[in-house]
Amino acid sequence: MIIELGSFALILSLMLSVAQTGLSAVGGARRSPVLAGAGQGAAIAAFVAVLVAFAALIHAFVVSDFSVANVAANSHTAKPLLYKVAGAWGSHEGSMLLWCLVLTGYGAAMAVFGDSLPPRLRAYALAVQGALGVLFLAYTVFASNPMARLLDVPVEGRSLNPLLQDPALAAHPPFLYSGYVGFSVVYSLSMAALIEGRIDAAWARWVRPWTLAAWSLLTIGITLGAFWAYYELGWGGWWFWDPVENASFMPWLIGAALLHSAIVTEKRGALPGWTAFLALAAFTFSMLGAFLVRSGVLTSVHAFAVDPTRGVLLLIMMGLAAGTGFLLFALRAPTLNPGGQFRAISRESAIVLNNILLSTATAVVLLGTLYPLIREALDGEAVSVGAPFFNLTFVPLMILAFAILPAGPLLAWKRGDARGVARRLWVVLAAAAVLGLIAYGIVQPRKALASGGLVVGFWLVGGALLELADRLKLFRVPAAESLRRSRGLPRGAWGTTLAHAGLGIFVLGASFETAWRVEAAQALSLNDSHALGAYTLTLSDVGTVEGPNYLAERGVVKVTNKAGTEICHAEPERRFYPTGAQTTSEVAICPRLLDDIYVVLGERRAGEGGKPAWLVRAYVNPWVRLIFLGPLIMALGGVVSLSDRRARLGVGRRAEEVVS
Amino acid sequence: MIAFWIAAAGLSAATAGLVLRGAARARPVDDAQTRLEPHRRRLAEVERLAIDGLLAETELKAARVEAGRGLLAAADQAESWPRDGLGPRKAVVAAIGAACVATAGLYVVLGRPELPDQPYAQRVAEWKAADPSTLEPEKIAAVLEGVAAERPKDVEPLLFLAKARAVAGDLSGAEAALRKAVRLAPKRADVWSLLGETFVMEAKGDVGADAKLAFGEALKVDPNDLRARYYLARGKIAEGDVQGGLSDWRALRASLPTTDPGYAALSQEMAQVEATGRLPSAEPAADANPQVQGMIAGMVEGLAARLAQAPDDPDGWVRLVRAYAVLGETAKRDAALARATARFKDQPKVLSALRQAADTPAQKTAPEVTKP
Repeated sequence: MIIELGSFALILSLMLSVAQTGLSAVGGARRSPVLAGAGQGAAIAAFVAVLVAFAALIHAFVVSDFSVANVAANSHTAKPLLYKVAGAWGSHEGSMLLWCLVLTGYGAAMAVFGDSLPPRLRAYALAVQGALGVLFLAYTVFASNPMARLLDVPVEGRSLNPLLQDPALAAHPPFLYSGYVGFSVVYSLSMAALIEGRIDAAWARWVRPWTLAAWSLLTIGITLGAFWAYYELGWGGWWFWDPVENASFMPWLIGAALLHSAIVTEKRGALPGWTAFLALAAFTFSMLGAFLVRSGVLTSVHAFAVDPTRGVLLLIMMGLAAGTGFLLFALRAPTLNPGGQFRAISRESAIVLNNILLSTATAVVLLGTLYPLIREALDGEAVSVGAPFFNLTFVPLMILAFAILPAGPLLAWKRGDARGVARRLWVVLAAAAVLGLIAYGIVQPRKALASGGLVVGFWLVGGALLELADRLKLFRVPAAESLRRSRGLPRGAWGTTLAHAGLGIFVLGASFETAWRVEAAQALSLNDSHALGAYTLTLSDVGTVEGPNYLAERGVVKVTNKAGTEICHAEPERRFYPTGAQTTSEVAICPRLLDDIYVVLGERRAGEGGKPAWLVRAYVNPWVRLIFLGPLIMALGGVVSLSDRRARLGVGRRAEEVVS
Repeated sequence: MIAFWIAAAGLSAATAGLVLRGAARARPVDDAQTRLEPHRRRLAEVERLAIDGLLAETELKAARVEAGRGLLAAADQAESWPRDGLGPRKAVVAAIGAACVATAGLYVVLGRPELPDQPYAQRVAEWKAADPSTLEPEKIAAVLEGVAAERPKDVEPLLFLAKARAVAGDLSGAEAALRKAVRLAPKRADVWSLLGETFVMEAKGDVGADAKLAFGEALKVDPNDLRARYYLARGKIAEGDVQGGLSDWRALRASLPTTDPGYAALSQEMAQVEATGRLPSAEPAADANPQVQGMIAGMVEGLAARLAQAPDDPDGWVRLVRAYAVLGETAKRDAALARATARFKDQPKVLSALRQAADTPAQKTAPEVTKP
């Protein structure tokens, strides 16, 4: 009964979304508080219904109800509970339900927390959000229903791909989808404003918190995915420019551009059309990601293998949502007020330049992602686009963006003082250059480009700290005064500093790790050793262990430094999952302060004299921790900004009401 | 089913209540507040930053002007929403009613209210209570998993579990059960040699390093363990030591009574090796073993007998048709399909499942390997 109730609830949520769309649209058009209020109620009710459906699906996974086709295909009784629960979103059908849950959740949040929005804007936004819900829920109900039942119930399930049975990946989709789908609110608010024909500073102020929330969650989601790829796939890397990785990166880039352009619209009323365009584009890229991952057009470790028919349906949905949005934009854009004027040297100009570079970078990633598909469609030739292309195209654009980044916040609105900013920043530039030169001098082998990358990283971190110091007048006024200023500083400013410094920390880690990673691979019998940079690895034992749903060979690899002191015992595993007969590598990581010693146990083979030997691959990944720490600091910056009283819609009004 | 419809009605009523609550809480609106609010807050923020010394004088002036302009423009845009009459309220009730009716209608088409939940624990309990001869090997294995978990110190349930899994074709599962069994009973030669045999079956007949290790452990405990001696000799022949292997088999045969069925089988196998200088086949398959085949056939016939007595079981018919298809018994498959099609002619989903089951390809039977 529970799973059928879930099935009923899913259909109910579809119908409630239809009601939400109709009631909100008519309510907004006829200025009817009752209809608009009912639309808000329908948004909350649709979320409750999807929540019931999702809970029913999780229950089916937890109790291993293999009469549910999705459970039979993606679960197994021997799976640990965490992965049974995560199995609910580990498949295409289940993850579509998660998508719908987040989509309706944002609609409900807009209904509950949107009191500070003008009623008509809110009603139209809820109507658009409801229409998106209708599209995705209809697709889920009719084309990929996770509640579909089996008449011939198998005794056991086929289990979830072992690569996906990982804590980071259990948490990755909820964060990723909260980010992707968070842009739906921004899309809906943009559509509502375009229908109304009003895009101004107030609108930008309403849009920014949703953008911040979506972007921060997407940052965490992408970082978790990269971290999973790093320690689960066993190839030592963390980003492969895989099409599915790119699919999540494109909305992130556009979201970053939107965050900045919304500031210009909010503070100066300028760039309203461009900000609305980015708001539409951010969710369009989210939908493009969903299409790429699920249509079967891409081959990737992350992609769901789904038939092309469903892909065509997703393409139609994306065409409908994006086409309607951009058509409305094309009709309304000429009538929008261009807003405040600004000089070529100003904070607005810096942000415009940042937006141009981020948008061009997104276009480059899009081209690199779609080019293999286009070539295959045109002449049938299979090509792949990887790191060399992106290093030559994407990286230079980003270096340009990073070069101007520290200057932006130091420039005044409307008319900036370039010389004044240069005077303040030269110290940071000099310090970054000196640190880069030191790295070039002492880190072997010498690598000029990587040292240049470090200069960029130090420049970003230093620029962010200088801007903060500038705001606090650090060392220019007494410390007590700086402390007082720090207390008065809006949290949004702290968020900016954290986000920009986090970006610099990421650049430092990425430059150092990519250039100076050390790798060694050798077949080792028991008690054999091999050198890995400054370390020696000795395979001291290999035993068999039995996990809840796998058998594994576990190696014990002793890591010693040059002095012969033991640094750690790494225990990599080679796991065999009988269900599905899949073998995976479980990497062992010896964490140092910023570095990782990363050990992978390979297949057993015949070694010298017929003794068994194992291929042991190992890496020293210097500063790799910064690669994951940086984005988390960026996301923290987003959260801190979100907690700014200026971003908390309705707070100001409530406070005033209390005072009055 | 009644409980389901009551729960569905409750959920519909609760969500309808949320919609009606939203409508009931609606009040006439003057949106000047919401329109002006962001600009007022912007002005207040500018003043606060100025007081804190975080805004330069020139910036302060410009920001005040910008916020003031916005305030004026917003004041022009303000609009009021009057109190609603009865019409919109009726429309809300009609909309939510239509949503609930449409949901029930669509669910009747797409849903399966007659199908109960089938949690694994409940199914295993049902299999445990059923006649074992009517159960498929996978289900017997599932029951035995529970027994093995209930008696963690007892090796016997693990041995039965391993055999059931092997019959069901789950050799990795059989290996896992036997690994546990040898940890519990390291002094039992038969357990070690069963583990070795499972390794051989997983390696499609090759007597690999793991298998040799297991057979070696068996012989340490019981130097006469027949299974271990048979496979180790077989391994010798496979590796080219034909005379050594045959010699070991001769010794093994000498230890068997001539009335033992294994005696004749081994003699036949030895004759083949002597004639050809190599092993007759390389793949002992669980499903090719006559004993196993007999067990499976018995289970299928048990299912057929049960359906003859209680034919109103669509799942059972689907399984029976598939089983006959897999066994290659096309006449029996077609007869069962015809009976089931006639019985469930009004249930298109059952008919579709039956057709799918009938289309299941027959299994390929591997050459038989005789074991002592």
